[in-house]
Amino acid sequence: MDDRSTDSDPVTASESSILDTLGEDVIRIVSPVSLCMLLVVLLVSSLSSTNDLSSSISSLFLSSPPTSFSSLNLLLGSDSTWEEIKSALITALSFVVVVTLLTFLLVLLFYFRCTNFLRIYMGISSLFVLSFLGGFISLLLISHFKVPIDPLTFGILLFNLSVVGVFAVFMSKFPISMNQGYLVAIGVLTAYWFTMLPEWTTWALLIAMSLYDLAAVLLPVGPLRLLVELAMSRNEEIPALVYEARPVDPQPGDRVRVWRERTDVVRIEATENSTNSANVQTIQETRLAVSEEITAPLIEPFPQTGDRHLNTEEEDDGIGLGSSGAIKLGLGDFIFYSVLVGRAAMYDYMTVYACYLAIMAGLGVTLLLLAVYRKALPALPVSIMLGVVFYLLTRVLLEVFVVQCSSNLLMF
Amino acid sequence: MEAGDDRPTADVESGARLRLSAVRSGGAVTWPTVDGPLGVSWEEAETYARRFFLWGFALLPLLWAVNCFYFWPVLVSKASPSSSPHFSRIRPYVVWSSIGFLIFAVLLTAWALTFAIGGEHLFGPMWKDLVMYNLADKLQLTGWM
Repeated sequence: MDDRSTDSDPVTASESSILDTLGEDVIRIVSPVSLCMLLVVLLVSSLSSTNDLSSSISSLFLSSPPTSFSSLNLLLGSDSTWEEIKSALITALSFVVVVTLLTFLLVLLFYFRCTNFLRIYMGISSLFVLSFLGGFISLLLISHFKVPIDPLTFGILLFNLSVVGVFAVFMSKFPISMNQGYLVAIGVLTAYWFTMLPEWTTWALLIAMSLYDLAAVLLPVGPLRLLVELAMSRNEEIPALVYEARPVDPQPGDRVRVWRERTDVVRIEATENSTNSANVQTIQETRLAVSEEITAPLIEPFPQTGDRHLNTEEEDDGIGLGSSGAIKLGLGDFIFYSVLVGRAAMYDYMTVYACYLAIMAGLGVTLLLLAVYRKALPALPVSIMLGVVFYLLTRVLLEVFVVQCSSNLLMF
Repeated sequence: MEAGDDRPTADVESGARLRLSAVRSGGAVTWPTVDGPLGVSWEEAETYARRFFLWGFALLPLLWAVNCFYFWPVLVSKASPSSSPHFSRIRPYVVWSSIGFLIFAVLLTAWALTFAIGGEHLFGPMWKDLVMYNLADKLQLTGWM
């Protein structure tokens, strides 16, 4: 990290250490992740009482039957759980395959310098997410809470918020707080949409995406690694959706977006007439263009002016460091963390707390590894694996324990 | 640009504190934007202020609000001999954006409150057809995803 004078510690200016600014840096990346997770949990818990709506919608588009049918089938002796698992695995696998293909397509487009096309495409998909998905979710909220808003006000607000959101995310000079706020909003909306998938599919998807992330960033043939190396060799900027924490010590002339950004946008577009015979149901689920992450490791020694020790710029699918030392985290990581916590919220709040702690621990481990290796690193695998393990342990073991203790008035 | 060379005297940890420290005690501003050294420079600020102002006319009053928020140091301080020459070129756009946004906000709030508070008492049975949750059910707006 760079030399800087301390703000809170009574240490002389000459002996600044990494600890002086590390806390602030970590807080600045942990807060938006926590905020995103909190908002998704709030949305899930407030809208889950309309369970019939979401489960009926998901049963329209997804292959697995609603839970009432599966319990009936269990009574009749057929193993529909196994069917659910099989369909979940197929869904997750096809999702990963589609993501890989799209990432390679992205690399190809970037190779042929179609950057403008990519930027326009990402702008359109952000607009889509903010307006359609945002409108859908706010309509769900309005219907649930019976807010007496009229269509004119609603239309004006939705139009304004979504168009300004697209500007905030893609214009180079925009208030940083609004840019960060809109990135979190896009993460929340997409994560909530993902939690509307059936249970087994969500878990299979999370595990598959974290394995894909690991492979794509660290393997030499990984598409994200190729993308970053391409951008590095050309000294160009990848159009992407990346959350960048505000640097702790901004220098004048130090522009936040001068360095490369990782492409953290994944587009899954399913055809509306799903005529694909093989993956009819699976593609039917992903009807929207969804933000996904593309991790690209990037190591680049920058000749820095001034007293900067941090010369490497690492961008990573999950996590990286900007040229002023600010931590960058891909939007896809926000989304998948929030999907995990949102799905945990659908069971009970106890699993939410356990998964939140697991994800934060995983994020801390990833940051530590980032500081040690100074390379682009995938942020998904550690957190998601820890989160899944803690979810299973809590649901299977801890809940029984706590319920027994509480019902015997031993511990609350 | 002399303004760009100075750093704010207060701590620069957060954007909110930056906003306060961007205005020096003499009333002149060092940075044109709330982002301080990370924001736009004085030279480019006029382009951005004008762009936000003009695009706001496309039924986007929120852009006017963004304009006021982004150039808040320019809005709250007055022109002084030590401020940048660009200051007086940026300020009209920001001031007119704030006026436009305030007018629009008053109008929209008045209409929204009339609709919400008046309800059926004021509008009659038409209110039930117009209110958003009934309209969404009727048009099946939440059923397609």
